[in-house]
Amino acid sequence: MKLERLIGVVLRAGVVLSSTCFTVGLVVYLLAGYTDLSRLILQTGVIVLLATPVARVVVSIGQYVSERDWTFAALTLIVLLELMASAAAALVLNRRL
Amino acid sequence: MPVVTATLALIIFSVGAVSGSLGALLGIGGGVFLVPFLNLVLGFPFSVAAAISLTTVIATSSSVSAASAGKQLINMRLGMLLEVATAAGSFLGGMTAQLIAQSVLQKLFGFVAAGVALVMLTRLQRRNVILDPTIDPGVLGARYYEAESGGMVTYRVKRLPLAIGASFVAGNLSSLLGIGGGIIKVPALNAWCGIPLRAAAATSAFMIGVTATAGAVIYYGRGQLEPALAAAAVLGVQLGSWSGMRFGAFASVKGLKLMMAAVLFILSAMMFLRGGR
Repeated sequence: MKLERLIGVVLRAGVVLSSTCFTVGLVVYLLAGYTDLSRLILQTGVIVLLATPVARVVVSIGQYVSERDWTFAALTLIVLLELMASAAAALVLNRRL
Repeated sequence: MPVVTATLALIIFSVGAVSGSLGALLGIGGGVFLVPFLNLVLGFPFSVAAAISLTTVIATSSSVSAASAGKQLINMRLGMLLEVATAAGSFLGGMTAQLIAQSVLQKLFGFVAAGVALVMLTRLQRRNVILDPTIDPGVLGARYYEAESGGMVTYRVKRLPLAIGASFVAGNLSSLLGIGGGIIKVPALNAWCGIPLRAAAATSAFMIGVTATAGAVIYYGRGQLEPALAAAAVLGVQLGSWSGMRFGAFASVKGLKLMMAAVLFILSAMMFLRGGR
C-alpha cells in the first residue's frame, strides 16, 4: 500500500535526522560544554522529533485527498488541528504562567 | 530544571537503555520505568520527568512504525480514526498536568503502574481472526499475513465506541504521566473490539507518536523539556529497544514478566507514598 510506504519513509527520515542531531549535539556538549552551538543542535533534534508525527499526519491528509477519501481526509485533518491546538496552547501558557 | 552535567547525561542514557530494552521485551513501552526513576531517584520535578519520557515515547513510536510499515500489521484507517480521540485526550491531559499538584500526578502514576503490572500478568490473548481472506473486513477491519496459520487472515472491528473511549483515556494518561498509553489501548482493542493482538499492538504503537506529541509540545512550550537530557534519554531508549527486539527472541520472557511485575508494584507503592506526603 502506497500510504504505508510513504509514512514509513517520513518516520524513518525523522528518526535518523533527530538521532543524528542528538548524537552530534551531545558530542559537541561533551567536548565544548553547554555552548550556544550544542544547545542549538540539541534543540533542532527535539524539534525534528516533535515534527515527525506531524509530518506523518500531513502526508496522510495529502494521500487521502488525492484518493478522494473525504471521510478520512477530514478525520486526519482534525488530528492535525488538535496538534496545532496543543502548539498554540503551549505558546499561550508560556506567556501567561 | 536540573543542571546538565556529563555524568547526569550518561546516567539518563543508561537508564533509557534499560527502560527501552525492558519495554521492547515486555511489550509495554519503557515510560513506566523511566518516569519513576527520573522523578524518585534523580529527584526531577514530575513534569520534567514526564516531558523527557514523552520524547522517548515519540522516538520509539516513529522507529517501530517505520520498521513495521508495509507489513500490513498497522491498521492505518483505524489508527487515524482513534488518533482523533487520543490526541484530544492528550491535549487535555497536557493542559491539566500544568494545573494540578505533583502529588496528585504521583498518586495517579501509582494507580496506573499497578494496573500495568496486573495487565502484564493476566494479559489475555484473543485470536479474533477469521481464516478466510475473501470475507469483507468492513471499513475499519483489515487483512494481514499471519505466519502461524500460514496465510492471509481477516478481522472486523467491533464495539467502536469502546475503542474510541479507551483511546481517549489512554491519550489523557499519556500526557499526564509521560507514558505511551499502549498498555490501556491494546488490551481494550484485543479483548473488546475484535482486533488481533499483533495488529492492536502495531496500530497502537503507530498512534502513540501523534498522541505523545500533542502532550510533549505543551511541556516543551512551557520550558519543561531539557534538550540535552531528552537527547540522552532518546538515544538510550533507541539503543535499548533495538537490542531488546534483536535479542528478545532468545530470552525467556515469562520469568522476566513476573520479576518486572514485582518491580512495577514496588514503583507503584513508592509513587503512592511519595504522593501522599
